Amino acid sequence: MINEVRNTVLSILNKNNYGYISPSDFNLFASQAQMELYEEMFSSYNKIITMENRRESGVGYADLRRTYEEAMEIFISNKPLQNFAGSVFLLPSAITTGDEYYMMVKVICYPTVLKTGANTSVVSFQLVSTTANFLTANIVPGDVVVNTTTNTIANVVLVSSNTVLLLDNNIFTTTPANFLVLKASAAVEAEKLTQSKSTLLNTSMLTTPSTLFPAYTQQATVMTVTPVSYKIPGQVIANYFRYPFVPKWTYINLAGGEPVFDQTQPDYQDFELSPDYEYKLATKILEYAGMSIRETEVVQFGMTQQAHEQPSFSVQQ
Amino acid sequence: MAYISQYQYYENNGATPENENWGSYQYVSLQDIVKNFQLMYAGNHSLVNNEERYRILFHAKRAVQELNYDAFKEIKVLELTVGSNLRYILPSDFVNWVRISLFRDGLLRPMTENVQILSSSAYLQDNKANILFDQNGNILEPQNSQIDMERLRGTKRNIYLNPGGMFDGQYGWNVDGNWYFDYGIGARFGLETEVANFNPTFAIDKKAGVINFNSDMSDQQCIVEYVSDGMEGGDDSLITVNKLFEKYVYAYIQYEILSSKLGVQEYVVARARKEKSALLRNAKIRLSNIHPGRLLMSLRGMDKWIK
Repeated sequence: MINEVRNTVLSILNKNNYGYISPSDFNLFASQAQMELYEEMFSSYNKIITMENRRESGVGYADLRRTYEEAMEIFISNKPLQNFAGSVFLLPSAITTGDEYYMMVKVICYPTVLKTGANTSVVSFQLVSTTANFLTANIVPGDVVVNTTTNTIANVVLVSSNTVLLLDNNIFTTTPANFLVLKASAAVEAEKLTQSKSTLLNTSMLTTPSTLFPAYTQQATVMTVTPVSYKIPGQVIANYFRYPFVPKWTYINLAGGEPVFDQTQPDYQDFELSPDYEYKLATKILEYAGMSIRETEVVQFGMTQQAHEQPSFSVQQ
Repeated sequence: MAYISQYQYYENNGATPENENWGSYQYVSLQDIVKNFQLMYAGNHSLVNNEERYRILFHAKRAVQELNYDAFKEIKVLELTVGSNLRYILPSDFVNWVRISLFRDGLLRPMTENVQILSSSAYLQDNKANILFDQNGNILEPQNSQIDMERLRGTKRNIYLNPGGMFDGQYGWNVDGNWYFDYGIGARFGLETEVANFNPTFAIDKKAGVINFNSDMSDQQCIVEYVSDGMEGGDDSLITVNKLFEKYVYAYIQYEILSSKLGVQEYVVARARKEKSALLRNAKIRLSNIHPGRLLMSLRGMDKWIK
C-alpha cells in the first residue's frame, strides 16, 4: 500500500508543480500520518460507542463499531512477559517482546503450571521432550505452551504421546529451549490498579488480590503482579495493542538518480492500517508535505479532503 | 467453572479427597459470579459501566456475607470439650450463634443463654479500695475477677433451675410432690419460665472471643451451631453461593453499584432495589422447600382428638 500512497501524493504534488518530496521526507511523513490515524481510531471508536448508546448506530451493514474493531485488532499482540524479579515483569517493549505497546487490553495469569522442562529435538509445530510425561500431566488440547527461551506461545492441538505435543504455532525451532505448559481453563485476568488505589486494595480483607483475582500495578518499565505466587517466567501473558511498525518506502537508485520502489529491501515496511485508510494516509501526508514545501494550497487541500472524509458523528461530538 | 464428568463428581478422578465434588452442582462459585456479572451486566451498553473489577468483587462478597447471615440455611456445627476453665473459644469463622447444646448420654440438650453476668474483668485495689498501678501507670489486674473465681469454683449461684440455681442445696419441704422453700414463699407465684431450665447456662463474651459456662459444663461436650460469613477463611476459590440465590447476587451487585454512583436517576436505583428485594424473597421461598409431602405430614395432626 505504501507505494500507492506515495504515488498518489507525488501525483497531486506534481500536478500543479508544487514540488517534490524525497523518500526520506516521505517516510517521516508516512510514519507521522500512520500514528495520527492509529490514535484517531481509538477516539473514533469511543464516539461510536456513544452513538450506539444514543441509538444512532445500527447493526449488520450499519455496524460501524465492528468495522473499527476489526481495523484496530490488527494491532493486537499476545505475548508472555519477561520476568524481572519475583512477581515483577517487564512491560512489552522492543527489547522484551519485539514491539512497543500502546495500550494494555488484558493481562492473563495462569495459576496452574502443568509441566516444565526443555525440548530435546526440533520438529515443526511440535514440542518434543523425551523426558516429559505429557499424558500423566493432564494436558488437554487448548492448554498454553510457552517457549520461555524465545518468549513465544502456542496452544496444544493434540497430546500425541507422553513425549510429543502438537502445537498451533511453530515456536520450537532450536534445542534446547525451555518450555512451560499452562492450564488454559484455569486462566484468570489480572486487574490494572492505579498506584493510588493499590495500597488500600492490598490491605482490604475483601478486595485483596488473590490467585483467582490477581491485580497489577505499573511503574516505569515494569508491572508488579499480586499475589506474589505469580513469579514464574511465562506465567503472565499480556494482551495489548502494539504501536504500528514504522513504515518505510524502500528503493533502489537507477542511473538517472530516480529512486525506484523496491520492497525486497530488508528494512522495507508497509503501512499496517487496513486498505480503507489509504486515502486518509495520502491526504494526511499531503498536509505534512504542503507544510514542508510551504504550499498552503496543498495543506488546505489535504485538510479539506480529510474533513470531507470524517464521518458525520465527529461533527456532532 | 466447567461442567465435570460423572467420574470426577463421584470419585474426583481417583484423586483425594474423594468427596471433593459431592453436592457441588448446587453452588456457583464466586469467580463465576464475578465473571458472569462482568460479561452480562457491565459494559458500554449496560447500566453498569466503567466499574473496576474489585468493586464488583467487593459487592459480590458482601452479598455472600449478607446471605450467610440470614438467608442461607447453612449452619456450621463444632463440637469441643469444655475444660476446667469453663471456656469455649469461638470458632475461627464465627459470626453469630444459632444454638449451643450440651451433648451428654447421646442426647443434645439445648442450653439457655444466661442473662446474668458470668464473667468480668477486675482491677487490683488496696484495703481502701484505691486502684493499684504499676510503675508505668498501667492498672494492675488479677488473673480472675471475683465473679470468675466463684464461677470456676462452682460456688456462683444463678437464677436458673439447675445445680447452681438459687434453690439448689437449700432446705425445703416436699408436700404432695412439690418443693417449698422458706424464702420462696410469697416471693413469686408459679414458675418463671424464662429461667426454668435444668441444663447448664452460657454467656458469650464477643470481644474476648469465648463462650463462658457455669461450672456444670466442666469436662462436658459442647456443640455450637453457628453461622459464618461464607468467606471461607479468605480462600476465594472456596466461596460459593447456592444457585437459588445466583440472580439475587447479580441484582445485589447492580443495585449497590448504581445506588452509589453519581448521576444515576433515582428511578433506576429504585428499580434495581425492587428487583433485588423481590429476588431475595423468591429465593428464600424456594429454599424453604415448602412441598406437599412435608405439609401433609404436618396436616395429619389436624385430625387429632384433643383431650
